Amino acid sequence: MSEYLIGLIFLVGLWGVLSKPNIIKKIVGLSIMNGAIVMFFVHHGARFGSTAPIREGAETGAAAAAVMVDPLPQALMLTAIVVGICIIALGLALAVLLYRRYGTLDIRSIEAEAWSTRD
Amino acid sequence: MTDPVILLLVLPLGGAAAALAAKLPGIDRRPALVRALTLVTPVVLLGGAVALGFGYAAASAGRVATYTLGGWPVPVGIGLKLDGLAWLSSVLVFGLSFLISLYAVAHREYGPEFYFFFMLLVAGMEGVVLTTDVFNMFVSFEIIAISAYVLIAYHREGTALVASFKYLVLSSVGIFFFLFGVFVIYRELGTLAFADITSLYAAIEDPVRLRTLRLALVALVVGIGVRTAFIPFHTWLPEAHAYAPHPISALLSGVLIKVSFFAMVRIITVFSPGMFAHLLLWIGAVTAIVAVVWALSQRDAKKLLAYHSISQMGYVLAALGAAGGATAAITVSGGPAGAAAAADAGGTLALSAAVYHALNHALFKSLLFLSVGTAVHLTGERNLYRMPRLGRRAPLLAVLFGVGALSIAGVPGFNGYASKVAISTALAGSPAYMLLNLTAIGTAASFIKLSRVFRPGARDSEGERAPAQARERILPPGATVGMSLIALLCVTVGLAPRTALGLLQGLLAPGSGLATMSPAFAPAKLLDTAILLALGFVVYRLTQTEIGGRIAHRIEEHAPGLRTVLLFFLVGVVGFALAATVA
Repeated sequence: MSEYLIGLIFLVGLWGVLSKPNIIKKIVGLSIMNGAIVMFFVHHGARFGSTAPIREGAETGAAAAAVMVDPLPQALMLTAIVVGICIIALGLALAVLLYRRYGTLDIRSIEAEAWSTRD
Repeated sequence: MTDPVILLLVLPLGGAAAALAAKLPGIDRRPALVRALTLVTPVVLLGGAVALGFGYAAASAGRVATYTLGGWPVPVGIGLKLDGLAWLSSVLVFGLSFLISLYAVAHREYGPEFYFFFMLLVAGMEGVVLTTDVFNMFVSFEIIAISAYVLIAYHREGTALVASFKYLVLSSVGIFFFLFGVFVIYRELGTLAFADITSLYAAIEDPVRLRTLRLALVALVVGIGVRTAFIPFHTWLPEAHAYAPHPISALLSGVLIKVSFFAMVRIITVFSPGMFAHLLLWIGAVTAIVAVVWALSQRDAKKLLAYHSISQMGYVLAALGAAGGATAAITVSGGPAGAAAAADAGGTLALSAAVYHALNHALFKSLLFLSVGTAVHLTGERNLYRMPRLGRRAPLLAVLFGVGALSIAGVPGFNGYASKVAISTALAGSPAYMLLNLTAIGTAASFIKLSRVFRPGARDSEGERAPAQARERILPPGATVGMSLIALLCVTVGLAPRTALGLLQGLLAPGSGLATMSPAFAPAKLLDTAILLALGFVVYRLTQTEIGGRIAHRIEEHAPGLRTVLLFFLVGVVGFALAATVA
């Protein structure tokens, strides 16, 4: 059930990227998509249990592993979050430059002006 | 475990660090030191290429070099692997980036940050080439993407900013689908390493799980498809490649889309070789013909070249489609044991033809972008009808452009012809080949059109009108060396087409018998080519008539906006998903 909800969040992000003409909102849409993917992984990682994956004392794996989260998705998502932040930051930087250059955030008018003054 | 494969990643990252050091306070005020630190870039790239050269004997013998980061075994640690295909791609990455960086360094208009991102891009591409798991492929693709966005927008011209933003939005959406595919794989199989995916996928019998994993493969292919730029994911490419700085256009068109393409070949092979073969064959053929029509209609010289990149990748994709299951030759485990799987000689030939054309395209397209870029730089004009003719002012530049143009048009004796013959042998009898023949006509026509810039013209008065530019060296020595070497490679491959193909096959499918292509210079082939080129000239004349010009203008105006681009993308996703569930 919750996987479908996360899927819905992914689609909300996609809808934002697709239908919002404002470039900042498009970038926010990308951010939502990225967040949804992170949630997919983290949610799946918690399928056994949700305690921190730290072994205390000399107890062996089996019992502890039954209540621990799967650490691999968390490690992966740490990387994915960093990558996502880079993309969002760069997108916003481009948005600033585009706004300074064209005086609007509406991608339709930006594109119309950019391609009309091309040659 | 002790192969020095990691050097291929450390070298460009070290180069990037050197370039970044030039921004340190204290160093950035000393021009000589800054210059020296930017010169690290070509030196490092040459070093990588030379090191790879020493590895040739091992690679062609089918030996796979591996390295695991931090000493952890593969499912936990990060593994790197250098097999035949990876060796070829690495040579392409280092060799061509080196020649392109010579051009960039010689022009002295790029600061240290340019070389930082340049080297980061190279490191990212090497990451994609060497990786052995899907998640690292994602990370490497994003390293590539971030550097590419910055480099495209480097000069901060309005058009370049819009192009970069468009690329950012589309390829980020693509890569999020890719990451979703990675998630589904992890959820279903509990592993992300290529080798484990292959064995676990082969063992699945439950049809529902099989379909889920096929959809995961669709997500991966779609994500990479945006970078490889075939229809319907091509829409970002013309602007991004056309408005980027000239060396970056050459790097993106020459190297980056090939690396993405090889990554796609690898991903499909990891799952089931031959998957989507029929779909890719037709997408390739349609991409080739549609993109060439758009290319022929452009007045912007660099945009014309950018559309041709899409079109030529169509050829490559069609040949890959024809290869079908033979991509199994590039096995995940690699080596001669896997090559036995590829019994189908025709398929092996098609696969080699695809890689062959991809590599040839890398050579001639970077040459074309550099020569046309120089012309744009000299004249300050992108519209090829308004550019003054440069033939008399810059004869060497005209010759270099000529080599590139003759190669892409498929004139015998140049490398484009060599791989086109290989593709025609591979696709013999397929209806898709008709489309590729039509594409050849369009290609010839559009390069006759573009060549007007480099013809010797009477209008040499342009030189006097811009005295500052006239005094400038047209081609600095470094740029001349870089471009001449690329041109030399084009001609060498073109004159010995079968030897070059044999070398490729030895690397791609070591141990399997060499499938021979039909003799490249057979009279029938030459006659066919002559007819195609003559038709190309006719088409060129037609586009110069009033009606032809009006049609061309209408097509040129028809450039999709960002929203349409994203809709195209979604249509592509649905299309691939349908193909995967039906298959």
